[in-house]
Amino acid sequence: MDITIIAETRGGGLHPVTAQLVGAASSLGASPTVVCPGGAGGEEACGIAGVGKVLAVTGDCFATYDGGAWAEALDAVAGGDIVIGAATTSGRDICSRIAARRGVSIIQDVTALSPGLNVTHPIYSGKAMQDLTVSGNCVLTLRANTFPPAPSGGSAQLSTVQQSGDVRLAVAEAFARASERLDVADADIIISGGRGMGHPDNFSHLYEVADVIGAAVGASRAAVDTWEEISHSMQVGQTGKTVNPSLYIAVGISGAIQHLAGMRTSKYIVAINKDPEAPIFKVADYGIVSTWEEAIPVLKEELSKLA
Amino acid sequence: MAYEGVDFYDIESELSDEEKMVRDMARDWVSEEIVPNIEQACHDGVFPDEWRVALGDMGVLGMALDGYGCAGMSYVAYGLVCQELERGDSGVRSFASVQGSLAMYPIHDFGSEEQKQKYLPKMASGEWVGCFGLTEPDYGSNPGDMITKAVDEGDHYLLNGAKMWITNGTIADVAIVWAKLDGVIRGFIVEKDDPGFSAPEMTGKHSLKASVTSELVFQDCRIPKDRILPHVEGLKGPFSCLNNARYGICWGAVGAAQSCFHSAKEYALSRIQFGNPIAAFQLVQNKLAWMLREITKGQLLALNLGRKKDAGTWTAEQISLAKMNNVDMALEIARMARDIHGANGILDEYPIMRHMANLESVKTYEGTHDIHNLILGRHITGIQSFTREL
Amino acid sequence: MAGIAVLLKQVPDTTARISVSEGRVDESAITSWVTSPYDEYALEVAIQHKEASGASITAITLGPPRADKVLKDAAALGVENLVRVWDDSWESLDSSQVQHALSTVLEGIDADWIYCGKQSADRNQGSTGPGVAERLGLACIVEISDADVSGDSPSFTRSSSTGSERLSPATPILLTFTKTETELRRPNVRGIMMAKKAQIEIVSADIGDAQVQVVSHNPPAEKPEGKKFEGADSVPEVVGLLRDEAKVI
Repeated sequence: MDITIIAETRGGGLHPVTAQLVGAASSLGASPTVVCPGGAGGEEACGIAGVGKVLAVTGDCFATYDGGAWAEALDAVAGGDIVIGAATTSGRDICSRIAARRGVSIIQDVTALSPGLNVTHPIYSGKAMQDLTVSGNCVLTLRANTFPPAPSGGSAQLSTVQQSGDVRLAVAEAFARASERLDVADADIIISGGRGMGHPDNFSHLYEVADVIGAAVGASRAAVDTWEEISHSMQVGQTGKTVNPSLYIAVGISGAIQHLAGMRTSKYIVAINKDPEAPIFKVADYGIVSTWEEAIPVLKEELSKLA
Repeated sequence: MAYEGVDFYDIESELSDEEKMVRDMARDWVSEEIVPNIEQACHDGVFPDEWRVALGDMGVLGMALDGYGCAGMSYVAYGLVCQELERGDSGVRSFASVQGSLAMYPIHDFGSEEQKQKYLPKMASGEWVGCFGLTEPDYGSNPGDMITKAVDEGDHYLLNGAKMWITNGTIADVAIVWAKLDGVIRGFIVEKDDPGFSAPEMTGKHSLKASVTSELVFQDCRIPKDRILPHVEGLKGPFSCLNNARYGICWGAVGAAQSCFHSAKEYALSRIQFGNPIAAFQLVQNKLAWMLREITKGQLLALNLGRKKDAGTWTAEQISLAKMNNVDMALEIARMARDIHGANGILDEYPIMRHMANLESVKTYEGTHDIHNLILGRHITGIQSFTREL
Repeated sequence: MAGIAVLLKQVPDTTARISVSEGRVDESAITSWVTSPYDEYALEVAIQHKEASGASITAITLGPPRADKVLKDAAALGVENLVRVWDDSWESLDSSQVQHALSTVLEGIDADWIYCGKQSADRNQGSTGPGVAERLGLACIVEISDADVSGDSPSFTRSSSTGSERLSPATPILLTFTKTETELRRPNVRGIMMAKKAQIEIVSADIGDAQVQVVSHNPPAEKPEGKKFEGADSVPEVVGLLRDEAKVI
């Protein structure tokens, strides 16, 4: 089958997820064409093993992000029975529009693929998985960090094609990123500190980790009661502040009942505590017996590598 | 886990769409605005003014009354709102009960057209707060012998006396005051700026701390003649109001019980002792099962009573039975829940002790437990046993 | 003046337990159905827009009879026109069929502004907004996090690589919403009483053939037993497991 990949770009180059898309396409037995919006990452894409050819698509429309214009331009040059993109904000938008243009269906946030074409994706925010089978052409977006990336060592041909689309959106005003603290109630990832942090100032280390992965910072009741600087609004385990994130990282928290009741339904729990007998280890999926001083810097570094 | 109401006998299927929507509206507001803030309000001993505004905006004040800016919804809908408010805190439900059943209701049923036009729309919106002055320092269960007196002095009434245990008194714009005019109990509308009227707050409470409880003091208080409620005389007036409020309480108590049950269940599933959650132990399951039984019975009682109220086929004795039963079971459930929570149950981390302390007041106000007992006793035997004169 | 349309979807309460029985999620076990959360944010801004501009507003949902509830809830908030798109022969529709039906219905409604949530809480796809926009030949702004609809030239804020950017689009336009800071209005008793009288128009539409078949639903993979590691040196391994085993980062 003929597969076209819409490359995901970042900062003028390729986003790491693009290699994962190539890997997934290869697993279906295809030698995909990679299409690079605005031409970004073209050379890089040629170096991914398994790529058939690379099309750098240049056009005026790529100066501003307008999903409709980009889809129009890319659809014109992208052949393929199957179009695959990344399940990112722009990837989902553009791919939905390409599917609509072609009158085919789209399946997004795919986590497993096999020839057939059989496709799996999470539903109900991951509380169940849906297995689908598609007859004929379709468009897919794949969840990042789920498919192994294709290795380097490719030497595909790069062609450049001029193609633009009708831009109908204009930016009136741009703002720099405001540093916004996520609330524990809303966050999908929470890193919480307890009395084991030793001093309220040490929560700054947790904020640094949180900033890397887009997490909220929480606290145990013990920390809130002990230190005025640790605000009540951060407390997990208080009446009304039960949290249910995909990932809960408990640092220096013993895991006494009041805290547990507030976070026990988290999908995955990581505990970092120097006391191997701390009750939190009974509920942790991954427990690390270590002081936070030793573990947190390593955690921050490892997570930064993934970002 | 997010709050779930208890509904073991599928009461949901007996509610209309509007009743469910109103219940959900109140439930969401309580979860978002009351539950996170109630402990602080109790700690500070205040009823936050934002709650008055929100209750007015939601349209739940006097919601079962018709016309004059009131919603005219069913009594079951009103009951469902009371249930949700009291799941948050009895003090919040008390505000709404006093406003709707004790202050707006008597104006609606016994007031003149001018009085209804003047007071009801502003009370429905929450702009004006009302209170109900019946109980006195020396006359609680025996309101008939009250000593607050009104004298007709030609172009005004002169009120003298004092009322005690009055919810909303200090923040009220309007007070419905029951006083004896020529020996006959009449209702009077007193406004907060009337000369000779003051409403000092009562302090030092261990119960209903997020509610304003006051004295109403009348020292040669002069009110215009048009302030008397023209269409009722005698105890029938205040007792009609109390029956309405008691009805709301029988639902509210179910809400408090549900809150305690929900907390006890969640706690029992989380607390591990001897290698198991305590929910795995038989004595704990026994307690939870008892709570479920009592809540279910209380709900069915309240729903049945609500439908009777809407059909106009209720009796006062039926209301006495429901109020008494539901408050008693709620208080027992609160105590049992505290026990299940162990030492943690005394912390404000959990709502248990707050509900328990509140329910002590709810058991006594709007007719004490014992008085309702005697109301039923009189109904059963035909013999009154309130006084020694037969 | 051309009006405002809002697409709403009914989904199970997001705190509900989802159970799978005989290869399908057991919908009969779901006791509480709600309006998909991102749709609620879209609806709030749409109602503010209607109040500011005086335009008419229509709420549209594609779903079985129980989906009338999301329309009634919208009516309680002040939406006058309510449309449910459904045919009793429909079971689970794929993205093309859903978009085909909705765009057909929208063609019959003169809407300059089409609002919807960025993705639904049940399928989590995010295809409907941009797909419907494409079929109607409209531009689309996705994942709007802030909006100002008070003046003559409504503006919408979305993320950008350097922060965020504000756009004041020409109409007609389709807008998808993520969570905004705007407080969602509550219904009040008056609104609920008026919703009682609300009329819901039920329409069907052509959907074309299904191209995607559901093979099965399955519970998520079992979590492996909790693992304990010694020392900070184990952190890289744990991070790898979070990525590859738990797949939460």
